[in-house]
This record gives sequence, C-alpha cells and structure tokens, in this order.
Amino acid sequence: MGFTRNFGKSLELLLHKICLILLPIILFILYLSIGKYAITLTSLPSVLFKDSIEHTILLNVRLPRAIEAMLFGACMGISGAALQTTLRNPLVSPYILGISSGAAFGAALSIALLGTGYFFLMQPSAILFALIAITITLSLSKFRGQFSPTSLVLAGIIVSALFSGLLSLVQILVEPEKTQTIVAWIIGRLYAVTWSDVVTSAPLAIVGIIGLLVFRWRVFALSMGDEEAKSLGVSVEKERILVILFASIATASVVSVTGIIGWVCLISPHITRFIVGSNPKDLLPASISIGASFMLIADLISRTIWIFEIPVGVITTLIGAPMFLYLMRRAMHEWG
Amino acid sequence: MSGVEVRSVKFSYGKEIVLENVTFEVNEGEILTILGPNGSGKTTLLKCLNRLLNPEGSVLIDSFDISKLSERDLAKLVGYVPQIHLPAFPYRVVDVVVSGRTPHLGLSMPTKKDYELAYNVLGKLSLSYLADRPYTQLSGGELRLILIARALIQQPKVLLLDEPTSHLDLKNRVFVLKILKEVAKEGIAIIMSEHDPNLASLFSDKVLLMYKGRIVSYGRVQDVLNRENIVKVYGVDVEIFENNGKRYIFPTIS
Repeated sequence: MGFTRNFGKSLELLLHKICLILLPIILFILYLSIGKYAITLTSLPSVLFKDSIEHTILLNVRLPRAIEAMLFGACMGISGAALQTTLRNPLVSPYILGISSGAAFGAALSIALLGTGYFFLMQPSAILFALIAITITLSLSKFRGQFSPTSLVLAGIIVSALFSGLLSLVQILVEPEKTQTIVAWIIGRLYAVTWSDVVTSAPLAIVGIIGLLVFRWRVFALSMGDEEAKSLGVSVEKERILVILFASIATASVVSVTGIIGWVCLISPHITRFIVGSNPKDLLPASISIGASFMLIADLISRTIWIFEIPVGVITTLIGAPMFLYLMRRAMHEWG
Repeated sequence: MSGVEVRSVKFSYGKEIVLENVTFEVNEGEILTILGPNGSGKTTLLKCLNRLLNPEGSVLIDSFDISKLSERDLAKLVGYVPQIHLPAFPYRVVDVVVSGRTPHLGLSMPTKKDYELAYNVLGKLSLSYLADRPYTQLSGGELRLILIARALIQQPKVLLLDEPTSHLDLKNRVFVLKILKEVAKEGIAIIMSEHDPNLASLFSDKVLLMYKGRIVSYGRVQDVLNRENIVKVYGVDVEIFENNGKRYIFPTIS
C-alpha cells in the first residue's frame, strides 16, 4: 500500500513538474504569435529568419517584451514566495515590505540627479534604495528579536508611504521633461521594453533567482521560527538577510526597468501554493513558472483587449485583487 | 566523557540574574528531569544548553565546548523540542519531520534517504498515518510527537525538551515519556523540564530541582524528591508514599 501511495504521489508530482515547465513555454509561443500583427504559429519559424515587418516586430518588439515579462513574473513569483516563507507571513510581498517603492524612488532619484544619459546607473540606485527600504521596514518591525507578522506589514506600509512621498517630491522638484520621464517610468509598463532593457535587468535578476533557489531548503528551516531554525543549525540572522538580499536584488533589477507593476508578487505565490503546496522546496521553483505565466497572460491582455494598449499594471491589479481575495478566503479554511 | 557536562553556568537578563552556579552532568542513555516552579529558570537553562542563550560558565557535550562549535555542528549534537510551535504554513507532516535533517544537509536538498528516515521514525512513533497531512490540522499531542520525530532524525547525542508533556492528556503524557525512555536506551542523553514530580520520578534517572535560578537539589529521585525539598521549592506540603521502589507525591490540602 505504501508503495502504490508513494507511486501515485510521485506520478502526480511528475505531472505537476511537466505542466509547470510547459505552461510558460506554451504561453510564450502564443504571446509571440498574438497581436495587432498576428503571426500564425506555423509561420513563426520562417518569420524569424525572413526580413519583413513581422520579422522586426517579432524580434525587436515582441521577443524582448515577452522575455522581460517572464523575467519580471519569475522574479516577483520567487521573491514573494521566499519572503512570505522566510518571514512566516502570507501577506508579505516585495511591494508590501517597501522594496519596490524604495527601488522606484532610487530609480527616479538617479533620473533626477543625473538625467537620462546615465540610465545604466538607474539600476544600482534602484537596488540600493530597495535595500535601504527593506532595512528600515525590518528594523521597525522587530520586536523582542522577532518579526511580528502584524508589525511587519504595518512597517512595510509606512515605509512604502514614505518612499512614495519622497518620489512625489522628486517629481515636483525636477525639470518638467524629467518629470515626464519619471512618470512614464513609474506607471508599470512593458510597451517600451527593448533588448537593452533585457540585458540590463537579466543578469542580476538571474543572480537573485539562483540565490533563492539554492537557499530554498534553508528558507524552509527559517520558516520554523527563529529558535527552532537555530536549533536546526541555521545561522538565522545571516541567512535571513541573505534571502532578503537575493529577493531585493531580483525585485529591484526588474522594477528598475518596468516600473511598478502590482500584485504579481503577492498573487503568484498563493496560486502556486494551491498547486504544489507550501514547502519552499517545490514552491520556489514552481512560483517562477507561475509568475512568468501570469505576467505573459496579463501582458497579452494588456496589448490586445482594447484598441490601444492598457498598461499591464492595470491588468495585473484588476486580475490580482479579486483573485487574492478568493485565495485568501479559501486559505482561511486551511489555516483556521 | 560522552554526555553533557554543565559547569558553573550563570545567566542574566541585564541586571536580573536568572541562573547562577548551575552545575550538573548527564551521561549518555540517562534522562535528567528539571523540576521547579514557574519562573525558576527551567526554560532558560535548557536554552543555555544549545546556545539559544549564551551563558557564562561552560557547557560540554561529548567533551566539546559548545561555545566553540559552529551552529551546524552544534545542531548535529543537540536536538531541541520547544514547548510551543506556531505553524506558519500548512506543511506536510513528513516534510516537517525531514526538516530535522537540515544540519546534515547544508545547502543541498533532502534525498530519498532522508525521507525514508522520516517515514521510519514516524512508523516507530505509530504516526505513519499522519505523514501526508498538513501539520496545521494535528492535535496538540500529535504535534508534540512530530516535533520529537523531527529532533530524532537530527540524530543528536543530546535531546532537550521543554515541558514535553504540557497540555497533553494522561495517555499522551505517558506515551511521550515511554518514547523518550526508548530513545535514551539508544544512547542519547535526555534533558527535559517537567511540572509533575510523579511523572518525573517514574521516568527519570536523575532529577534537578530548581528554585529562583539556583539548584536546590540534584541527584537520584529518592534523594531529591523528599518532603523537605518540595516544601522549600513549591511552598506546598506533601505526603510521600513508596511502592515497589517508586515514589508517589501528593499535595495535602487541609
């Protein structure tokens, strides 16, 4: 009996794995094919090598945009999952902890001070302020050596508000044309994504993702609570900071290119949990796939549903908020 | 020596001294029970033994000074079962048990072997039927046993348990203590805190009686759990009966 149960279980897990790998690939191909200039699935390979309008659209518009969308979703999915698990709080996300507001402010500040000629400094500045923001959040919420779940969320909201305020201040103080650049950048969007955006954001995003994947069993031990993690041989303070660092790097590196696109980081881990369960051993890799898929769908909707494009941040919010409500209500039963 | 040696341990929170001059030893295969009223320093003492707190004095495990070990090496020697565990996510029971392998795994993932170990331990505790359940749905007794299972597959030399029988019914208390007795037989030193002197006298090789952070008496059950000591520590008068070499302690209510 034990054998059949284990066999059934491992077959189910294998099917999950295959679906989770195939899903973003299928969506990726659909994404490339659908749009104002429809490119049929069968003609995709030939378009790839033939000089034409479709070729330009595919190679210079849709392809980098699809990759950036997946990268964004992957980073948000795994960072959200890792932070929720490490901090023992399903309401936490890189956004709620202030990481993204910090990154947005950092990026805006670099535009304001250095102008658009120094775009390459936008990302380091975004990462720096993301780390400053999360540091403030964590130090505000630490109470008797523990991160109380409620104070963590409250501190995150305060820090987010603080950096949003600073961001507004920057917008008011700089010259009008810079304000325009900043505003256009803040509204979460993917329509202007180029290959150079992909190249700037990918390396550090991948560093963050790999770091979190490597640490995913430690994340599990950390989620047992500080004292228990310590008695399991985890260097709690050090390793938790590393996890947060990887999540912040991943988040900031994509946010510095796309601007703030909400809800992906909160919703993807929750969807993933319903498919593979809460153990970060499975949750973290699976949330990469779900995050990437979620973003591909959202961006596909954003550029096809109306005669002009609706920013993808609007779509993710409109899908994410009600979905989150539904998932939370379902989870309440399980968590009691 | 193999086992635990605690020498002149002292611990204070700021100016308030919580433990002073605590010295005792536990050999492998022995069960030592710490008794004492609430606030006498039992939990603090346990936490000093696996560096959740850092006391003055020395704690040696298998002759290693624990203050000189890395977190990981220490966790290979000492397992810890807390009094309360608050689940954050509905993990599967078997995964929670496998988390006990963490000090042996480092950055690598658990393998089939680790899961086999977990299923074995669950089988030993007659808990195999729980393996795939979310551990958020367990009863208090089941959760306590799962935490003990997790500490066991850590394969430690010393097992620390903070009031392993609290909030359990009589059947589960006895079950937990019987399990610990078997664990000790495999050559593990067990140190636990307990509130019930009768259970302590049934299952312990040694007893350590504490009051306000100091040891009042330490040694064999017969020598420690006498009327004079219990009155001194708990402030309650008791009658003590002996039967078949076991000691039964009852409070007298006039």
